[in-house]
Amino acid sequence: MRIAAARAGFPLAVAAVAFAFLGLFLLYPLFGVFKASFLDPTGVSFTLDNYARVLSRAFYRASLTNSLTIGLGATLATTAIGVPLAFCLARLPVPGKPVLLALAALPLVLPSFVGAYAWVLLLGRSGIVSQALRAIGIDGVSIYGKHGLILVYTLQTFPYVLLPTLAAFKAIDVSIEEAGQNLGASRWRVFWTVILPVAAPAVLSGALLVLMETLENFGVPFVLAEDMPILAVEAYKLFIGEVGGNPASAGVLGVLLVACTTVALLLQRYYLGRRRFATGARRTPPELVVGAGLRGLATAYCWGVVLLALVPFFAVVALSFMEYRGPVLHPGFSLDNFLRLLDRSQRPLMNTLVLASAAAGGAALLGVPIGYVLTRYRSRLADVLDIVAMIPFAIAGTVLGIGLVISFNSGWLILTGSPLILVLAYLVRKLPFNVRASSAILHQIDPSLEEASINLGVSPARTFLTLTVPLMMGGIIGGTILTWVTIASELSATVVLYSGPWATMTVVMFQALEGTSAGAASAAATVLIVVTVVPLILVHRLLRRHEMSLL
Amino acid sequence: MTAIRIAEVARSFGAVRAVDRVSLDINEGEFFTLLGPSGCGKTTLLRMIAGFCDLDHGAIHFGERRVDTVPPHRRNAGMVFQNYAIFPNLTVAGNVAYGLKARNVPAGEIGARVARALKLVHLDGYDERWPHQLSGGQLQRVAIARCLVIEPEVLLLDEPLSNLDAQLRVEMRREIRLLQQSLKITAIYVTHDQEEALAISDRIAVMRAGRTEQVGGPTEIYQRPATRFVAEFMGTTNLLSGIAVDGPVGGTAKVRVGGQDFALPAGTARPRDAVTFSLRPEALRLIAPGEHAPSGWHTLEARLAGVEFLGVLTRLDLQLADGAPLRAATLDLPPEAALRRERITVAYDPQRVTVLSKP
Ligand SMILES: Nc1ncnc2c1ncn2[C@@H]1O[C@H](COP(=O)(O)OP(=O)(O)OP(=O)(O)O)[C@@H](O)[C@H]1O
Ligand SMILES: [Mg+2]
Repeated sequence: MRIAAARAGFPLAVAAVAFAFLGLFLLYPLFGVFKASFLDPTGVSFTLDNYARVLSRAFYRASLTNSLTIGLGATLATTAIGVPLAFCLARLPVPGKPVLLALAALPLVLPSFVGAYAWVLLLGRSGIVSQALRAIGIDGVSIYGKHGLILVYTLQTFPYVLLPTLAAFKAIDVSIEEAGQNLGASRWRVFWTVILPVAAPAVLSGALLVLMETLENFGVPFVLAEDMPILAVEAYKLFIGEVGGNPASAGVLGVLLVACTTVALLLQRYYLGRRRFATGARRTPPELVVGAGLRGLATAYCWGVVLLALVPFFAVVALSFMEYRGPVLHPGFSLDNFLRLLDRSQRPLMNTLVLASAAAGGAALLGVPIGYVLTRYRSRLADVLDIVAMIPFAIAGTVLGIGLVISFNSGWLILTGSPLILVLAYLVRKLPFNVRASSAILHQIDPSLEEASINLGVSPARTFLTLTVPLMMGGIIGGTILTWVTIASELSATVVLYSGPWATMTVVMFQALEGTSAGAASAAATVLIVVTVVPLILVHRLLRRHEMSLL
Repeated sequence: MTAIRIAEVARSFGAVRAVDRVSLDINEGEFFTLLGPSGCGKTTLLRMIAGFCDLDHGAIHFGERRVDTVPPHRRNAGMVFQNYAIFPNLTVAGNVAYGLKARNVPAGEIGARVARALKLVHLDGYDERWPHQLSGGQLQRVAIARCLVIEPEVLLLDEPLSNLDAQLRVEMRREIRLLQQSLKITAIYVTHDQEEALAISDRIAVMRAGRTEQVGGPTEIYQRPATRFVAEFMGTTNLLSGIAVDGPVGGTAKVRVGGQDFALPAGTARPRDAVTFSLRPEALRLIAPGEHAPSGWHTLEARLAGVEFLGVLTRLDLQLADGAPLRAATLDLPPEAALRRERITVAYDPQRVTVLSKP
């Protein structure tokens, strides 16, 4: 018999808390969604009727195919854009690289539905660019529909491909390339036969993140899809329902959505696991010497893509300072939009700050110990915990929201209507990021430091608190702020879960979208952008030091 | 002072038997070394003693106290890590005080004990330095001070010198040995460097693939290796095999190898035994023409195939009558004249021949 109990107390305690939490607020609600989709109206016997009913309607079948086509389209497009971009940034002399790199990661943290809305302000039916185009006789340019969705997704999620691919290109030791050339292959041939295959798992793992993100996204299609059905949006509409919700049908769409994202997540994990052989360059490959023409082309390409992704955000900020009369824009600086917004939305702004802080703090309190146990105490139990803690990645916010409502609107624990349910939803959704960020920080801390402390007589739990946590602190703060920022702009679970006084800034923005007040919406958008970007700028150096990004 | 009893301990990682039923009795105040090639399980065994690696089987006692069921932070076995594991967020004094604080030693006493420990490792005055301001050797001293200040029952060291340069290594190993002797603490030291093991240890356990191959004092391990593996691991040697026949004198035996007779020490083999024996290169002495071998020594004729000058040593590659290789080594450079001849004579004391008990 292995005498493991001697040092298992601390990891077991952490695992127990983690399983209890995730069991109650992740697995149980998910189970609720499944149950709703598989039970007949009496709520007792198993049935496939719900699936038959939903799938018999062309409209809902289309929601599945639309979601998948758009997702795959965006995945292909981000790969096509991201890989050359990564190569240019890794190997070509592009001016302003550090700034470019900092800006390139930004689209991931900026609220995606704000971006979508900004595109509508530019290229929508009465968008300023479309109007200008119409004035010179070009008609029919539209941001709505499949193409618009793919374009917007591509510009918002290409960093998922760019960042890991860039890291992979940089991690290929020069000697590999030199060996290829030494054996008689041209540079071009070496690129296709060695460099690209070695980086391929990184590319694929990033591309699959794009697929997951686009499948789950609620805000962007809500703004841009118009009448076209999309899984996440239709699930929401069915659940909220103008004439009383329909949890069974919403559950069916939710389960379909979870099935798609789970496949993507499993594939992503598989490729992530295979990425290892690409890392650990002793000599990073140098920049290639190229002619002025190619250099100019690369520069234009890199800056072009990155700025194009950020243009709508600049635009919406600029527009928010202009005067609107109804939906009509008038040139001229004005703070009216903000004054009007402030009038109505002090409480939502406070809500956002309070809820995001509570959830980000909670995610750190839970995520850091879990990340620690997963990294330092490998065991079968830890493997299971690892899988469970990654599940939220594959669960669309809409589905989690629906599950939480189904599970906690009656019975022994009632949470609907309280702000706690929002905090819990955010906490669950952001936990995988926190766990992974903590593991990444821990990989930079030598485990023998902790062993030395334990060896000197400090218990494992106290060692973690008094030695490891202080050593991790910079990384923890950076990670918590990244979490905070993404929570502040969370929409998909929020719209399902918020109630009356607990509306957040994203809800205000969401409601403004449905109305006609472009002025208020753009002001709300600006506030959200500021709320995300300012903290990031404040901790930018910290994040750089800990090589932290949203991936 | 604490004796350590390791009984039948085993640990596997998947299919790898990292430690395979090892039993060792380490005496009070002994400096005991685990020696062996990479991957033989030294670190695993040491970590079992420290409590960082669970046992599949067996038991470990410090004196009368069974410790393998005790959590690592209550074992009171101070460990010095290969990479020092100095806490980067604490000063030198903070590092050394760490274990004392964990033991709730009164603040007033901590200062004095830290100062004493730092003096012991010649780091007095470094209290307020930060780890990144120290050299590798100084970090190692901090690690040792931090370990000794808690007055552990046993001291565990896992290749503590492998990150230091050659000269510092020799210096530090002497210091470690002196410290251990003056404190009379039982120490277990892990290394893969046989010279280091020979220089520092009271006893050595040579390990191979998770098992102990031989346990004994340095001279015993070196001069009377029990197995071919130990003989080869402890340095270059000539390993020869053959069938024993009656020796010239009563009780002695000789073995014919490579067209030459080799004499074995009395009583080590009987006629018709198949034997393998080790003859260290430095046991062979070059006999110049006209010179006589010491009495009782045995001489061999060989062809000189190559000479390698290594500074303090000169290595000679010899060939026996049928071409079998034999290596010899002499201190300094042998006389020029001796090396010019193609056929030379070497002599050895039969007592220096070791017949392997487990070939
Ligand atoms: N945590 C582990 N998981 C899996 N295998 C392990 C683990 N620790 C050790 N091993 C394996 O057990 C065997 C013994 O390892 P150990 O580290 O004890 O060797 P060692 O003698 O200290 O070697 P070295 O001189 O290289 O440090 C090796 O085959 C090693 O690969
Ligand atoms: Mg080792």
